[in-house]
Amino acid sequence: MRRTEDYDVSGVLPENALEELPAGTNVVVTGPSMSGKRRLATRFLAAGLDNGDGVLAVTTDGSLGIDEFERYVEDLDRDRVEILDCSGNDGSSAASGASQRVSTPADLTGISIGMAKQLKTLPTQRLDGLRYGLVTVSTLLQFLDVQTVFKFLHVYTARVDDTDGLGVFTFTGEAHDAQARNTILGQFDAVIRLRETDAGDREVQVRGDGVAPTAWIPFPYGALSAE
Amino acid sequence: MSESDSPVVLIVEDEPAVAEGYELWLEGEYETKRAADGAEALEVVDETVDVVMLDRMMPELSGEQVLAEVRERELDVRVVMVSAVEPDFDVIEMGFDAYITKPPDREELLETIDGLIHRAELDDDLQEYYSLMERKSTLEAQKTEAELAESAEYAELQERIDSARAEADDALGDVGDDQGFVGANRELFGEPESENATLAEDVIDETDAMGGEDEEN
Repeated sequence: MRRTEDYDVSGVLPENALEELPAGTNVVVTGPSMSGKRRLATRFLAAGLDNGDGVLAVTTDGSLGIDEFERYVEDLDRDRVEILDCSGNDGSSAASGASQRVSTPADLTGISIGMAKQLKTLPTQRLDGLRYGLVTVSTLLQFLDVQTVFKFLHVYTARVDDTDGLGVFTFTGEAHDAQARNTILGQFDAVIRLRETDAGDREVQVRGDGVAPTAWIPFPYGALSAE
Repeated sequence: MSESDSPVVLIVEDEPAVAEGYELWLEGEYETKRAADGAEALEVVDETVDVVMLDRMMPELSGEQVLAEVRERELDVRVVMVSAVEPDFDVIEMGFDAYITKPPDREELLETIDGLIHRAELDDDLQEYYSLMERKSTLEAQKTEAELAESAEYAELQERIDSARAEADDALGDVGDDQGFVGANRELFGEPESENATLAEDVIDETDAMGGEDEEN
């Protein structure tokens, strides 16, 4: 499947800050914990489900289940969403609706095999595009050193590029110094930053290749809750 | 490395005419070794071999069993499965680095082997790329944007990063392909922790116990 048209992400960010992303783009959502990174990433992934795209998501902490997608997509076609849970969690802390499981985020080869299986399972004949999610890079860094995660992300983002997909990642990075954070961020084409002002309001900023840079834009909490 | 410094390919094939055909295609660029069956392959394979071409259907030891033993020995060698049967997804899980459908054409065979020889450089190339990116991040943390714009060191670093990245991507090969994607991960991060590793060990244990009886294919 070759794709040249952009991935539609309109309506996710306020003030039309980001309308579409070129095929092969890898974008990361970064910001402090509890700033809504996962929810924002899910919206980017879900934005094409009504429009012919499929989703291959990897959850490293079990937090991204099928229920997260059902929030945003009415009558979700579950066949279009493949979830790989590598958290090693059981029961209610595991991702709901995950079809692939890997026992630990440290098993990177196991994750790659699971991702290849996800692609085999998706009805690719019917799909116009593939949106890949990895939520969250931060968990990988709890299990593996920075250079190993850097290498994994290089292969993962190349996979997205070679399949003309859209890659969406989340990354907190609070546990690491600025140097390590920036090295990891260097693997992505575009960076969407979230921050909280002193008054407790949220703002968002977009930077990177293939996107128009923005200033810090107000992005109220609750703007992403299911309408 | 071998004496000639050419990469070494071990051809495991029980039909001499077929093995000779492969040898003709590979000679010049590679040094070749031959084994007529799985048991001989396990005698011949060692650290000097870069790539093993393994026929999946062999009497006595099957391709899977030879692969399992090669992995068990932790040799730094890539294994290509050559099979008349259109390979199923299990080939990826089994741990072969690539597969070639039999009979292969010359182009396909040479491309596959060349890709695997390149992939052996992947970890070193990515390590170099990582180190340069880390240095760039350090500079960025220390200097203002205006200072960076004027820094010759920063400009030179950016050039080195671009060429290191290109080199790493060359070693990476086509990861849009499932086999290429999993193979690259396997090259960098080793065997999966899942049941595959244990399964392979079981096969070998069973074979020893049964005196090398053939597995069904």
